[in-house]
Amino acid sequence: MKTIIYTCPYVPAEWIASHGLRPSRIMPAALCSTGPLAQIEGLCPFVHSFINEVVTDKSACGVVVTTLCDQMRRAFDILVRRCDLPAFLMNVPHTWQSLAAQKMYVDELKRLSRFLLRLGGKPLSNDTLTRTMLEYDAARASILDARGYLSARQYAEAIAAFGRDGPAKTLNKEVSTQPLITGVPLAIVGGPLVTADLDIFDIVEQSGGRIVLDATETGERGLCAPFDRRRIHDNPLVELANAYFNGIPDASRRPNSELYKWLKRGLLDRAVRGIIFRRYVWCDTWHAELRRLKDWIDLPVLDIDVGGDSQAHQHRAPNRIHSFLETLQ
Amino acid sequence: MTDMPRQITLQEWDQQYEQLQKAGLYQPDYGGLLSRHIEDGDTRLSKLRYDNSAAALRLWNFLLTEEERLHKARAEGKKLVGTMKDLGTIPVMAYSLDNLVAFYPDGAWWIPCVMELNTPLLRIADTLGIDESFCPVRAMLGAFLTGAHFPIPDLLTCSVGATCDDFSAIAQRLNGLGYPILWWEIPHRRCPEPDEPMVMLPGGFLAPKSQVEFVESELNRLKTALEDLAGRRLDDRKLSAGIKKANLVRSYLAELRQLVFTAPLCPMPALEMLIAEMLAIHFCSDQNETIIVLQGLLEEVKSRVRAGVGFLSPDAARIFWVNPVADLQVMNLLEDCGGRICGTEYLFTHALDTIPQNLPPIEALAQMALADPMAGSSIDRASRICTDIRTFGAEALLISRIPGASHCALEGQVIGEIVQDQLDIPVVEIEVPPLTGSIRPKLCTRLEALVEIVKKRREK
Repeated sequence: MKTIIYTCPYVPAEWIASHGLRPSRIMPAALCSTGPLAQIEGLCPFVHSFINEVVTDKSACGVVVTTLCDQMRRAFDILVRRCDLPAFLMNVPHTWQSLAAQKMYVDELKRLSRFLLRLGGKPLSNDTLTRTMLEYDAARASILDARGYLSARQYAEAIAAFGRDGPAKTLNKEVSTQPLITGVPLAIVGGPLVTADLDIFDIVEQSGGRIVLDATETGERGLCAPFDRRRIHDNPLVELANAYFNGIPDASRRPNSELYKWLKRGLLDRAVRGIIFRRYVWCDTWHAELRRLKDWIDLPVLDIDVGGDSQAHQHRAPNRIHSFLETLQ
Repeated sequence: MTDMPRQITLQEWDQQYEQLQKAGLYQPDYGGLLSRHIEDGDTRLSKLRYDNSAAALRLWNFLLTEEERLHKARAEGKKLVGTMKDLGTIPVMAYSLDNLVAFYPDGAWWIPCVMELNTPLLRIADTLGIDESFCPVRAMLGAFLTGAHFPIPDLLTCSVGATCDDFSAIAQRLNGLGYPILWWEIPHRRCPEPDEPMVMLPGGFLAPKSQVEFVESELNRLKTALEDLAGRRLDDRKLSAGIKKANLVRSYLAELRQLVFTAPLCPMPALEMLIAEMLAIHFCSDQNETIIVLQGLLEEVKSRVRAGVGFLSPDAARIFWVNPVADLQVMNLLEDCGGRICGTEYLFTHALDTIPQNLPPIEALAQMALADPMAGSSIDRASRICTDIRTFGAEALLISRIPGASHCALEGQVIGEIVQDQLDIPVVEIEVPPLTGSIRPKLCTRLEALVEIVKKRREK
């Protein structure tokens, strides 16, 4: 089956899968400081790694990039010039309160559909879309339900595997029969992680904590809202668009008040006692939220800024996380 | 023509001012000695060199008195609209209503330069978590919090979508501090698909008709907000009149740019031209006066061209400049290094192109907003730059990076490669912080090298 790669959470995997193609959400293995695109001052390390991952990809038949962040929008320009892989730039509106913005998102899905057909995708039918949505929804629900029974890393890996491989291989790890409730409850907040970053979850546990809220873009926050089964049958596309466009809170939305509402609920429900704020150097969108978050919440916040050099980060982060947790115990 | 064209210091301007006064110079109410602005803290002015014409004097005084104008407008009962980011669209709408005055809070990005960091604006931004990794436009946050550089507007709008993340993030920070913002969206301008209805925008870019319609719907939201603020209707007749007036400004600028960039001897320095171009985006809070200021500059330039006089050496390297500079002094520096500006793309070419007058006005404005060079791909932008380089006969491209601006990391490479491929001219990329004192030797070396390369290529 032909694979379509992407990384943005606002790209509905169900939509791609319903065209008979395999959606695969990229989570680069590590931040790269080398690769076909050399390091550039001012470039977000994640965007840099994403570009290099796509340019060197041998398995995909197409890539979907979105306008969620300015540098990713511009990464598309690099991809179309440096890479033979057919690329699609999807407009994801930053405003979300107007009907026009929601309609634009739906129209962009229809345009994506035409792109997928050009790559050999099958014409879409409502039945296929409905069936696919139900399948993905069930898989997502099972991951969410398993949260308390998995280590934080396993939970993050399950979400990543779901994005990469789809619902078929969800939760192939052993799930504990007893709830795992040890450690100081922490949240991790920020943009997307790379696979190597999942070590943070282990470091937290080794230091006596536990990530109970993964509010990164590649974590729980990046999952769309559950589908309304009645509305799926009425109009699957509208329900899909609603669950993604209105169901994923992000720092890039304007206004981004929904992110704070979502965080407030999550932090309270899970009795979070501290926040690890993980951001990339040069990611203005998340960087600007750091002080606001600190002013907004009466919880300690540990700022971990990550540059392009993964190794330096790997050496620095454990000590800082350990010290942070010491103050919370 | 005032005098033989010369670039003079601020001190020399005082003497020149006296002479002009004796010769019967007419001064508007904001006129006067340029050096008086130093007392307001604008200390960078003492390090710049200026054109010596009365027209340039009026331009500078107009620019440096905007804050007073805004306070005066408010005292007269007018409502103030802070139009963030779109660089040229909403002000046209706002000035179509005679009791609204629009301005760009983004303009605060030059305050750290003009006041040589003698203000707490950047420090305030730092305390709000917006540090030096962001674009210098972060000074805007400090300007809002101190209220010292412009009055707090009655309505604040901000375009988002296909804009830079740094500005959008700073605006969101401002919003989070309790300043209400009316957000509106300009989508990334994409290429129309085969068989998709399309529109050729002012400036020549193509866009799907559906995107123009989307922006129209956004502008209609804005129109309602402006009407509510003004307490009166903004009908098509008023909007059309507003567009006509904005086009007058644009036509003067087009003529000015054409004359200045193509004259054998440079008739107006780069610095004054940069300021003049900036007037197009919000008319420096007085549209009528903008027209008069530009008329004055145009007359001066025409008379200089007719007389065959100007600045710089006739063999100055003809440079096309991309992106505005955070430190105004760099425009002087280019000329010191043997270059002259022959073409610019300061991020707002859409505010220089004529707005269609044969369309319903909101549709025309939507087309203009979507023609923003930053709303599309860097590939589109490069293609427009290539066209303009050919038009103005530039011999080299200089891309000026704005520190911390999200678009600068990747766009320079794309634009540079395309320009080199299509035109085979040298391309240099530099970064210009708000104060360039410490990197001046390095900048000089880069600029001189570029000039030298241009001149060597002429020998072939």
